[in-house]
Amino acid sequence: MGFGFDTSAEDIKVFLDEAEEMLQNMEGGILRLEKESDNPEVVQEIFRAAHTLKGSSATLGHQRMAELTHSMENVLDKVRKGKLEVTGAVVDTLFACLDVLKAYKEEIATGEESGVSAQSILEQLAAIDRTGSAAPAAAASLPAQPPAAASSMPAGLPQLTPADEEKVKSAPVRGMTAFWAHMQLDKNAAMPAVRAFQTLLAVGDIGEVVRSWPTQEEVEEDKVGDDMKLVFVTRESMEVVRTTLEGIPEVKILAVSPLSLATPAPAPAAAAAVVAEPANAEVAMPLATLTADPEGAPRREATATAGQIKGAKNSSRTVRVDVEVLDNLMNTVGELVIERTRLLQVLTHLETDREGDEASQVMSSALAQIGRLTGNLQDEIQRARMLPVDNLFRKFPRMVRDVAQKAGKEIEFVVQGEETELDRSVIEEIGDPLMHLLRNSVDHGVEPPMDRLKVGKLAKGTVTLEALREENRIVISVRDDGRGIDPQRIRASAVKKGLLSEDAARRLSDNEAINLIWAPGFSTAEKVSDISGRGVGLDVVHKNIEKLNGSVEIRTEVGKGTEFRVKLPLTLAIIRALQVEVLDTTYCIELSSVVETDRIPTSEIKTVRQREVIVKRGEVIPLLRLVDAFGQQRPADFVEPEEVFVVIVAVMGKQIGLVVDNLIGEGDVVIKPLGKFIGDIPGISGATIMGNGDVAIILDISSLVNTVQTELNRQEAALSR
Amino acid sequence: MEQQVELRDAVTQVVVFQLGKELYGADISAVLEVSPLLRVTKVPRTPTYIDGVTNLRGRVIPVVDLRKRLGLPVTPATKATRIAVAEIDGGMVGMIVDAVVEVLRVPASAVEPPSAMFSKVDTEHVQGVAKVDDRLIILLDLARILMREDRKVV
Repeated sequence: MGFGFDTSAEDIKVFLDEAEEMLQNMEGGILRLEKESDNPEVVQEIFRAAHTLKGSSATLGHQRMAELTHSMENVLDKVRKGKLEVTGAVVDTLFACLDVLKAYKEEIATGEESGVSAQSILEQLAAIDRTGSAAPAAAASLPAQPPAAASSMPAGLPQLTPADEEKVKSAPVRGMTAFWAHMQLDKNAAMPAVRAFQTLLAVGDIGEVVRSWPTQEEVEEDKVGDDMKLVFVTRESMEVVRTTLEGIPEVKILAVSPLSLATPAPAPAAAAAVVAEPANAEVAMPLATLTADPEGAPRREATATAGQIKGAKNSSRTVRVDVEVLDNLMNTVGELVIERTRLLQVLTHLETDREGDEASQVMSSALAQIGRLTGNLQDEIQRARMLPVDNLFRKFPRMVRDVAQKAGKEIEFVVQGEETELDRSVIEEIGDPLMHLLRNSVDHGVEPPMDRLKVGKLAKGTVTLEALREENRIVISVRDDGRGIDPQRIRASAVKKGLLSEDAARRLSDNEAINLIWAPGFSTAEKVSDISGRGVGLDVVHKNIEKLNGSVEIRTEVGKGTEFRVKLPLTLAIIRALQVEVLDTTYCIELSSVVETDRIPTSEIKTVRQREVIVKRGEVIPLLRLVDAFGQQRPADFVEPEEVFVVIVAVMGKQIGLVVDNLIGEGDVVIKPLGKFIGDIPGISGATIMGNGDVAIILDISSLVNTVQTELNRQEAALSR
Repeated sequence: MEQQVELRDAVTQVVVFQLGKELYGADISAVLEVSPLLRVTKVPRTPTYIDGVTNLRGRVIPVVDLRKRLGLPVTPATKATRIAVAEIDGGMVGMIVDAVVEVLRVPASAVEPPSAMFSKVDTEHVQGVAKVDDRLIILLDLARILMREDRKVV
């Protein structure tokens, strides 16, 4: 890598994953700190994250990152000790630090210098540090049991959980001594993970590992640096401990000594030591009590076997699976579904031919069982691909805060339902659209504080992001209590932009007018703000949501607020579809777009301005003959039947009736791509294989209707000029 | 002198198929498999020579009518009609042929460069003409034939 870190690409990936998590934690923490500045837990959380990041970046060798986190640590330390007040300036500075840290993280990821200077931010931190009270570290005067027990750990040792501390404190009761050891793995070791594992085994042989850094799980995953620390308890003497540790090849003892937590805090200056420094036994040991080693017949703990190093890890019963493996599994199950359908067809033949003989009965029940099994498989695999949306949602609070500041709005951002799970590829794709919608709410939805006060609202607007599960799909709602969308303004704007003629605009229902905001090139912002006024946002949002087989609905009330409801299917590859026939080809229409199906006498089809429509329950529904939509021809001897089948679908709040030759049925359909050779065809989203082995075309209703609609609108607009 | 002859006689294996009354060939490495012609589903808004898509063991693959593509007369399908599946650009494409005859070993010495006299097919789609046992086999450049010119980026 460009920085010449002495680490493998794997180690860097591990660092980046951890750094990402730490930065997220810090960001979340600082946001909370803004609201609850005197909550010690929040401060502690930020401190811990900064501390961990400091350690890893130092180990990695990114000096500037270690330096910055170190300075943050100092400030945070003062805060948590009550010596520094959290002001707006402090929060802003911390946020600025985060941004620099993110840039540094990018540097590590790409290997390129970011050119970001931490100079000014370091100065700011130093200035804040100085304003904190200058009381000396209270080491000597602290009571024997300091409230933050962690501060009594030897410097250079990461934190123990309360459970671990219990184990350490209770060791003497069990006749054991607690030790901590700092080991160094030979840089030239071919397989450091093996050596680390041997260390854990060796210690497990003579005692019980309380905690290790890296953990056993990390060692098993080969995430090992050249540094290892352990806290363990044993009945053996220091000699035995030393000999045991010395006996591990390619591993050197940097420090090992008994450990007791009932000691006063060490000199806080030691806290400044960077973790990667080889620990000096003298600096590290603040011992007051050396627990005597009982000379009585030591009972050896049961020999540790490969999988059972005691206490070293929280038992983790997960495995990592490549997403591709899950995709392949999903495809295979899809194939199974198809084959089962074929067998079902054979069964139907058997049943009619042989009238319930035993063979067909056996086949019938076996197929029913297979159906249940494939259903289970699908469900399980799908579950394996699910992640809580929290992964995505946690990025938003910061962004909303920044956008709000820039736009001069006061926003209360509420997030709900973050534990709701979504397919991971959907999560990847839905992030950008949601961000756009949130920006939209902040920028256009919520009014400036003064305007809000004038109409009797609170100066602070509320933007809510909520995820909930509704039967077979997920609904993500982005709502604000702002000014709402005014259909009149939209109509006027559309006419002004030449998207519609005045006539056409007038004829739109309010719902249809509101849905015009999805049209390309549409935006009611008078000036282009750099946040979201460019008019390129919402149509892309709509397209991206549709690509995920999702849909978005707008609910709004002028003066009260707006809600965007994004509906997403739980699974991408399989949809429920209505099968129809046109000119001997079977087409599939996603059931969620279908409002209803009907059989209409041809005589009821009216023509309005050269367009065919029907009237249903007082509403005029334009018709689109699929034959025409695809530019296909009827054979010369075609006779118009007396009745036609119409499938009424809803597209962007508008209803359209699709005229087809026949309705075939409905069922689950596995989506297959048409392939690169055929490419993208407007109106078609893919293909599927039906039970009889034939290929059916899956329609992309909205793009189909759009292409036809846009063309018609333009024609009309052109005509009326 | 002898060495030259040896080099020139590198042998390629060619899948020989029939389009109309003539014999055509494609390098065996380009043809993944030969399948009976199952039902083809028309796909709207595609060039005429793309007949549609078909089901190849659970995969949806496009089907090209080679006769239309090469500007040859199209005859109705018979029991001998087959789909020769080629791999293009990471995806599979099926080509309709009137019959698949055999796999032939063609020595390089038997191949002559394309000339307008021998075939009705555009020379840019033809790699050469092979003469084996009194038969003329027009060797096709599948990669070029199956390239979508209507989508070529200038």
